Amino acid sequence: MQFEDFINWLNGIPGWLYDVLVWWFNAIWWWINLLWDSIVIIWASMFGNAEVLAYWFKAIVFPGLVFILLGIIFTVWATRKTWGRIQGRRGPYNLGKYGGLQLFADAIKLIGKESIIPKGAKRWMYRFLPSFLLVIVLLPFVFIPWDTDWVIVDLSVSLVLIFAFLTAIPVISLLAGWISGSKYTIIGGFRAANNQFASEIPLVLSTVGPAMLAGSLSVLSIAQVQADSFWFIFLLPLNFVTFLISAVMSVGMVPFDAPVADSEILFGWRTEFSGIWFVMTYFAEFAEMLFYSAMMVTLFFGGFSGPAFLPGIVIFLIKLMIVMFFFIIVTSSFYRLRQDQIVSFSWKYLLPLTILNILIVMFGMAYFGLYIGG
Amino acid sequence: MKPDISDEAVELWFGPQHVAAHGWATKLTLVGDYIVECDPNAGYFHRSAEKCLEFRNFRQGALIMERLCMPEAFLAEYPYVQAVEKIAEIEVPEKAKFMRTIMMEVSRIHSIQFWWGQLAGELGLFTMVLWPWIDREYTLDAFEELTGSRHAVTYSTPGGVKYDFTDEFLRRLDLAIYHLENHLGKFKDMILKSPTFKARAQNVGLFSTKEALKLGLSGPNIRACDYPMDLRKDAHDPNLKYDQVDWEVPVLVSEEHGSGMCDAYDRMIQRFNEVDVALQIIRGLLPQVPEGPIIDPKVRAKTNRLPAGEAYGRVEGARGISTLWLKTTDKAQTPYRAKIRGPCFNSYYALKHLMPGLRFADFVLVFGSLDPYVGWWDR
Amino acid sequence: MSIWERWLFWRMSILTEVLHVAAATFAREVINKFPDVESKPLNDNGVELITPRTHIRDIVNMIDERFDDAFPELVFGVDLEEGNFEVIYIFWMRSSSLLLQIRIPLQENDLWVDTVSDIFPGFEWHERETHEMFGIDFKGHQDLRLLLLPDELEGQYPLRKSFKTDRSRLEESGLTVPKPKPSPSARPDDKPAKEADSE
Repeated sequence: MQFEDFINWLNGIPGWLYDVLVWWFNAIWWWINLLWDSIVIIWASMFGNAEVLAYWFKAIVFPGLVFILLGIIFTVWATRKTWGRIQGRRGPYNLGKYGGLQLFADAIKLIGKESIIPKGAKRWMYRFLPSFLLVIVLLPFVFIPWDTDWVIVDLSVSLVLIFAFLTAIPVISLLAGWISGSKYTIIGGFRAANNQFASEIPLVLSTVGPAMLAGSLSVLSIAQVQADSFWFIFLLPLNFVTFLISAVMSVGMVPFDAPVADSEILFGWRTEFSGIWFVMTYFAEFAEMLFYSAMMVTLFFGGFSGPAFLPGIVIFLIKLMIVMFFFIIVTSSFYRLRQDQIVSFSWKYLLPLTILNILIVMFGMAYFGLYIGG
Repeated sequence: MKPDISDEAVELWFGPQHVAAHGWATKLTLVGDYIVECDPNAGYFHRSAEKCLEFRNFRQGALIMERLCMPEAFLAEYPYVQAVEKIAEIEVPEKAKFMRTIMMEVSRIHSIQFWWGQLAGELGLFTMVLWPWIDREYTLDAFEELTGSRHAVTYSTPGGVKYDFTDEFLRRLDLAIYHLENHLGKFKDMILKSPTFKARAQNVGLFSTKEALKLGLSGPNIRACDYPMDLRKDAHDPNLKYDQVDWEVPVLVSEEHGSGMCDAYDRMIQRFNEVDVALQIIRGLLPQVPEGPIIDPKVRAKTNRLPAGEAYGRVEGARGISTLWLKTTDKAQTPYRAKIRGPCFNSYYALKHLMPGLRFADFVLVFGSLDPYVGWWDR
Repeated sequence: MSIWERWLFWRMSILTEVLHVAAATFAREVINKFPDVESKPLNDNGVELITPRTHIRDIVNMIDERFDDAFPELVFGVDLEEGNFEVIYIFWMRSSSLLLQIRIPLQENDLWVDTVSDIFPGFEWHERETHEMFGIDFKGHQDLRLLLLPDELEGQYPLRKSFKTDRSRLEESGLTVPKPKPSPSARPDDKPAKEADSE
């Protein structure tokens, strides 16, 4: 009868309410358990195990995040001072001794500025892409062997993984240019993609020579092999030159900076970024420059190998500064090439030279038994 | 080469808000990377100089004229002074004639130094922006010693010049010339032998003498086509002393294109030749400067009111032929009509004919090689 | 005078004769063809032709055929008051050192001239500027937009004498009227400076 069903249903309500409350309680308790367990794991990993503690120290402080950021700041400062001296002026000199604090001042000022997002831009991509760019640029630094045991991650295929990261950068540039919603940025983005088309193949192929000679794709092994025998720069000078030129082209600095040609397309794909987004794209460019210099030191100059009385990391840094000096000189001596000239230069001159290099190495290894690595 | 990227034409304003557009806006129609149409627009810097000249007396007018083109201030103010002197029929002392000529040639050098920096900046090499401009500082020091100001010199005035050469000025001028000459070889290596500059500037912005004449281009732009059109030799001005030195009009036979054509690369070489000739003239005239007054006050008083008349003052400026047509009514204190011709008026217009078919990145290079200065066309 | 200066004068005078001959020859050719053109010599071996506007294209075509190095220098207008206007063309012929000035008188109710910008493209912008500054129409010109003026001044023809720029229009700009000071103002009959500000 209807009335009894109704009474039954009314009787079931408290039970249902109780079940709902129990479910909520269990859910909240599950989350608290998860939080507690993760805190326990982190605590245990930081202070329980010495190896894991060392890993965290390397990843964050040295030669990890803090070191890399200070390295980028140093790179920008060194570049600005050296460009200044080449051009007959002094570079920044007001803040800090020799202008060292200028970068901090610039970064703080720019972060404090209003970030204007243009009306035609896609807002969330606009906020996301510069940070993503900086993260992707900072990631390959984990593989660089600053010293024998001061490498953060050592994989047996780290060379390939490095280039997997680096190839994403021009794609992000293209996206950034497209979502900024301005004709000049779209042109800049397309030119950045064109730069990748021109530069990535000679760049990757230039590393095949050292990899073949060392017999391994791990960057640490390549540096290690050079520490035991002689530096590859003496065996592969042409390879170094093509790697340097392709690296300048890949970063997008003068003379290959048509994507950010400030007299033609304002600032290319970086035009519309202001404030903190600009800081990220600006630092990303110099982070790439630092990274390619570190790669050149590792691949061609023997990394941390050198006189025994200096720690390996100091030797690495000295060589890094020398290679960065070359970078800076190249980027302040030539006029800007047109985009089609960049592509034609790369495919007509760089790529055949790179392939010639590989052939020379293969020839040397096959006929002269030039086995250096294992 | 046929553009093959896209069939749709994109309109792009190389507009007033642009780092390399100092005062102009050009509407470019691009298909892919190629410019198919170029529509130059002016007027962003128009200060109605011609109307202002109708309200300034005959000594103040030169100030407006020189502010039309500051890098060549001595050259820019001269057409006005020449026209007033023709109407008033006044004599200029010999010393003033020599001084005017010398300072006009120094101004030409200064304008070319400024232009080297500007063009290198548009091509992305900041090093070659600053190196000529460091030497330009010595020239500006000399200007400051002579006239008291670095850029807005007011030196020629109807009847003579205003400031005399002092020993300090001659010393600074020698220093400026010394620095310039020391670095000319280095600049030639850095610019003319640079493979990237050759790659950018050769075969770009090509035109023939006949086209240039029809378009109204003058000055170094047409002398680079091996056509010796130079008002310093063609139209003898008794108030300037170009005939007291042995010099030849600098022309250039292009290596790539032969006589009668020039591209942006040749125009760069041509301006090195111009600097050489200017230095030759300065060196030839400096020892010949006589003693004497620089202006006669009674003559100067005659420029308060001018008789009725029309005159046409012309000068070979650093960018081409700059002229001023002056009409006065009887006993007037101010001109009735003053018409200014700037050489860059025709250079900017010529882009309409020169740009189609070139790439977008060549725009700044071609326009820069014609040596634009916004004050001349916007006035 | 030294011998050098005497020789120089002699040589310059021969040259001037030659140049004057060239100038006079061309002027005579034009007058032979179009009898209602007057010609006057300009100083510095130049020639001025005063012509009604119907002949301008023919004269410019003659210039183009006769001199292969004709340099188009200037086209501009002059506002002589009481409805008289003039359009002046200036050509420079380098090989004959001839400065040719062509003057066309016009009336205000009938302000038009045929364009010559198809013969000499260098005049295209000069004619465009003359049109926007004076209101002189160039028939056949392909592009008579505003060149230098902002949009608000279209049709105002600023270089005409009737376009006043003295203090009588100061309120339009929103500025306060300053204390009266004598200012130079352009009047062809030249009132003294103090009276000019009385209006």
